[in-house]
Amino acid sequence: MTSYRLGSGGAINRGQSLGFTFDGRSYKGFDGDTLASALLANDQMLMARSFKYHRPRGVVTAGSAEPNALMTIGSGARAEPNARATVVELYNGLAAASQNRWPSLKHDFGAVNDLFSPFFGAGFYYKTFMWPGVLWEKLYEPLIRRAAGLGKVTMLADPDRYEKSWAHCDLLVIGAGPTGLMAALAAGRAGARVILADEGFRFGGSLLSESAAVDGRPAAEFAADIVAELASLPNITLMPRTTVFGWYDDMVFGAVERVQKHVASPSPDLPMERLWRIVAKQAILATGAEERPLVFGGNDKPGVMTAGAARTYLNRYGVAVGGKVAVFTNGGSGYRTAADLLAQGVDVTAIIDARPQSADPVPESVRVIRSGSVIATRGRHRIEGLIVERSGFEEVIGCDAMAMSGGWSPIVHLMCQRGAKPVWSDEKQAFLAPDVGGAFAAAGSAAGELSLGACLKDGSAKAHAALDALGRLVGTLETPEVEGEYDPSFAPLWYVPGARDKAFVDFQNDVHVGDLGLAQREGFRHIEHTKRYTTAGMATDQGKLGNVNTAGIVAGMRGVSPAEIGTTTFRPFYTPVSFGALAGTARAEHAAPVRTSPLHGWARKNGATFVESGLWYRSAWFPREGEKTWRESVDREVLNVRAHAGLCDVSTLGKIEIFGSGAAEFLDRIYSNSFLKLPVGRARYGLMLREDGIVFDDGTVSRLSENRYVMTTTTAFAAEVLAHLEFSAQTFWPELDVRFVSSTDQWAQMSLAGPKARIIMSRVVQDDISDAAFPFLAAREVMLRDGLKARLFRISFSGELAYELAVPAGYGEAVADAIMNAGREDGICAYGVEALNVLRVEKGHVTLSELDGRTTADDVGLGRMMAMQKPDFIGKRLSTRFGLTAADRLQLVGLKPIEADKEIKAGAHLLKEGAKPSTANDQGFVSSACFSPTLGHFIALGMLKSGRERIGERVMVWDGLRGSEVLAQVCPPVFVDPENSKLHL
Amino acid sequence: MSINLLHRHVLDDHISGFETDTNPNHLSIIRRPVIFSVLAHESRETAVAEALWNAEDVAPRFCSPSEWLAVSRTVGAGMVADMLSGIAGASFVDQSDGRVLVEISGPSVRAILAKCVAIDLHPEVFEEGHSAAMLCCHAEANVARTGADRFEIIVPRSLAGSVFEELMEMGREHALTRGFVD
Amino acid sequence: MASLITCPHCGTRPKEEFSIRGAAAPKRPSPTAKDEAWHVYVYVRDNPKGRYQEYWHHVAGCRRFLVVERDNLTHEVFGVTDAAEFERAGADE
Repeated sequence: MTSYRLGSGGAINRGQSLGFTFDGRSYKGFDGDTLASALLANDQMLMARSFKYHRPRGVVTAGSAEPNALMTIGSGARAEPNARATVVELYNGLAAASQNRWPSLKHDFGAVNDLFSPFFGAGFYYKTFMWPGVLWEKLYEPLIRRAAGLGKVTMLADPDRYEKSWAHCDLLVIGAGPTGLMAALAAGRAGARVILADEGFRFGGSLLSESAAVDGRPAAEFAADIVAELASLPNITLMPRTTVFGWYDDMVFGAVERVQKHVASPSPDLPMERLWRIVAKQAILATGAEERPLVFGGNDKPGVMTAGAARTYLNRYGVAVGGKVAVFTNGGSGYRTAADLLAQGVDVTAIIDARPQSADPVPESVRVIRSGSVIATRGRHRIEGLIVERSGFEEVIGCDAMAMSGGWSPIVHLMCQRGAKPVWSDEKQAFLAPDVGGAFAAAGSAAGELSLGACLKDGSAKAHAALDALGRLVGTLETPEVEGEYDPSFAPLWYVPGARDKAFVDFQNDVHVGDLGLAQREGFRHIEHTKRYTTAGMATDQGKLGNVNTAGIVAGMRGVSPAEIGTTTFRPFYTPVSFGALAGTARAEHAAPVRTSPLHGWARKNGATFVESGLWYRSAWFPREGEKTWRESVDREVLNVRAHAGLCDVSTLGKIEIFGSGAAEFLDRIYSNSFLKLPVGRARYGLMLREDGIVFDDGTVSRLSENRYVMTTTTAFAAEVLAHLEFSAQTFWPELDVRFVSSTDQWAQMSLAGPKARIIMSRVVQDDISDAAFPFLAAREVMLRDGLKARLFRISFSGELAYELAVPAGYGEAVADAIMNAGREDGICAYGVEALNVLRVEKGHVTLSELDGRTTADDVGLGRMMAMQKPDFIGKRLSTRFGLTAADRLQLVGLKPIEADKEIKAGAHLLKEGAKPSTANDQGFVSSACFSPTLGHFIALGMLKSGRERIGERVMVWDGLRGSEVLAQVCPPVFVDPENSKLHL
Repeated sequence: MSINLLHRHVLDDHISGFETDTNPNHLSIIRRPVIFSVLAHESRETAVAEALWNAEDVAPRFCSPSEWLAVSRTVGAGMVADMLSGIAGASFVDQSDGRVLVEISGPSVRAILAKCVAIDLHPEVFEEGHSAAMLCCHAEANVARTGADRFEIIVPRSLAGSVFEELMEMGREHALTRGFVD
Repeated sequence: MASLITCPHCGTRPKEEFSIRGAAAPKRPSPTAKDEAWHVYVYVRDNPKGRYQEYWHHVAGCRRFLVVERDNLTHEVFGVTDAAEFERAGADE
């Protein structure tokens, strides 16, 4: 027996046994265990293989910095790779598997890499796999990727739910150890809104592993008492299992709560994890300190761990990490560990102290080797002994576990995420948190305090400072009494000379001291370059244990202070965050909100196929029995509209209600054409320009009464146009009395088009809509036959006699049904946006395919809509500049294939007949193309150099992308009814 | 030809099956509320706001210094329009069909809404009677506190289905129920 | 994760509610201004690092255009004003 469960003690519930498996073998642990503590209790020290050399590894820590004990938890869709066994909360049925080994953890073929390690130094891949270059992608990279090893991600969809939530507080306390608990208590008692978050599943932090007494009670009991009081305060929110992973602008903190990660059968009503955005007025960083490993030969052998970890397994989990433990230290932590182990009946074979002398109390009967250096360790899958060198003499000391302590590094990650760098302190021999302003302060050991008493005191003190800033009454400072405290101070020792085996600095990436030296010799001297060349500080642990040692060792090699070396850049996330948590509910059909038209139900009933258009779902076409392709449906719909009538949903067009005595003047300045004289009861087509003279959007404006208008915009630019109006009114012409509000959602709007449109509409509308009473471009309120008020516009996009009817959205479906009923005898059909597109191409109407952000009004044949006599309108001034008026600009033309059965596709380029395809020979492009069922062949709209002068010319429609060349004739862009006779029926 | 037009609520499509019993955390969909956009013209902002806050049968909802929603669950659109036309310096338009009004209430309402809106809903920060325009479940919404544990949410009709589904999803762990109120 | 902007009308809101619309300082020239003035207004913008005034449109809130004065490196916000007020103050100068 080497590591084992003690007969009593620890913050575990021995009454509740939990079964779990590791690599298929069954084990038992207790409620309150982590996976790592339970494995150790079962004498399973070998937990992983290292990344590069496949060396056997065990735990080094008992917390979130763990670089070695990475495992895959769960199976199937719930398999999670690279989980740190030291923070995985044990539950009944947990299944863990080791990673990066084949065929088994104990017998790993990849360990051969360790034998060849002289070739695998830093930069090995860069130097070796340089040529031939073609082999990189096909051979080298796949091989390296297969050999490199952390866990494998599952390719199955995550079956669990995730959520995001906001939280707001006066004070956020990050970390619920001695410092954080005292801070939360002080602020909580003062009535502040406090959030206390801790990554662990039990509050207390180091108090749970502490053998000293606080206020006359065991430390863990003291912690439990504070937690109980905090839980009773309504102004305190306790967030266990919650990692604050990032500090962002404006005191927003990101946190992830593992809601059900520890639950054997998760509830479908709860999320697996919840992402929090915590807005805090003040925050206290009480994240504690990380104990530094010592860098000596063979320091990665399973069984070698930090002294603090050995104490945590012992005191918190009731697990002795070995039967005979050796201690290697440069400070008080090693002595305290020896004393705690002895108190639980564990044999301590020796304390090797790197310092020549110290005042630390030596436990009775323990041998201390001062000025000693460990230069190698023995054993394969577990440490069996170590070689100590002292004054030139070597000695072998037997052990089955080893506790090491190289001093303490404050955990300052979060405070350095917004650009501030940690500050080296010669006095503390550590990088301390930078000053980031008053609202966010480090406290306790995160601020460089070492002793328990000092941390408890600092927690209260920093909370009082925060309360003061919040303007809350401050009571008296409370400082609990600590009995049996040890002195955690230490002397710096960056690495131990004389190593006989690799001395690892970064366990997770297999970076050893030799690699750091190589990086310096080869010129990768800046710490950021050293990191990238050696990979020290990369991967899932981001160098939590190794980075400070790296800086210290590089400083030593260069003969400078670690202050000169500095640290690499700290970035969120502090620990890995799952993609599920970051995505929250935004997945599959919830990836984005869906906008549905008021006529969605009507379209569905009529069998529509929908197409996404921004967030909208629009009806694209309405297939009928026997129609095999979309084209068949669209052709039928187009012919039906031209011959009889069709009803189309146009509700998604933007609608803006405009009010005010200055509205006419405002519209006159917004549009390029004139609006001052638009009569009441009339609609007008309008063209909006950008300030650079290019067309922005088009639409209609109808004057409902003297100072009352309604504007329509394209579906795509509805939001942009409203913003444009708001910006113009607010910043350009605040003196104009004009107000507007979007009413897009209020109206179900449908277009009834075709020669039978009037007869059908008159069956639904009470008002006289004869051509005389309701001529082309009439626009006014009408009454439907059941008394419903509606807006009717005689406007046409299809070129047919057409009306747009707008009714309150809730009546949309009923009115559309009524129109379909009323039109049945006249052959009405539903048509979608595809047919609408064909109808408008046939009619030569432009859309955003032509108004693509590059075209002027004149380019698309709308030059007459430039009312240049107006003193000002947006885009007027730059519309006349050189370049926008050049004779060789691309102009809108129509295109017809010379051979009637040939297809023209949008996006194809136009070339002079016989010209080679080249940029120099490019004459323009096809902007819209479709099959015209009315004409029986393909037609297209295109932008052609000096196009209007070239009517009748033949051009090559060259589609290099899809491999087609079609000869076409340039023609006017209006294919159907150029005299507009159908509009005025 | 006589026609009889049936009014449909957009969320009719999102609620199927039997109505369950109401839980403490509940979402009510108000079937036919009256909602008008009210706009104050230049320098009439204070007077219009005052008139809205003094009006009977109408609850004003703040959108911007010159824009409000006037909401009524008790009187018809005609009466609200009459009242609004009496306010000098105000323009208005009926949006009753363009907006969907839901009321969410219960002991967990703040925990549910914390997943839907970014603002602090603490009663000392967002007091009873307070309303504001904000993003709610990715939609531009107006949220009002109408009681200690009661809020009204007004969203555009076209996005109401998405918002409703999301609200129900966020309420799942709190056993949120839902139903129409006529 | 988030940035917060305190809208003078709506209170503190996450940046997701806003649409950023570029530098607030350029003023639209009069219709009769010289070509150079129009060219500068439409095409020429400083790209400062540091303190900067820009338009933020509160799209999901009051829909007002705001002028946010902030440090675009540190995101320290110095002030938020309604754009109409900002223009008025500029006109008074």
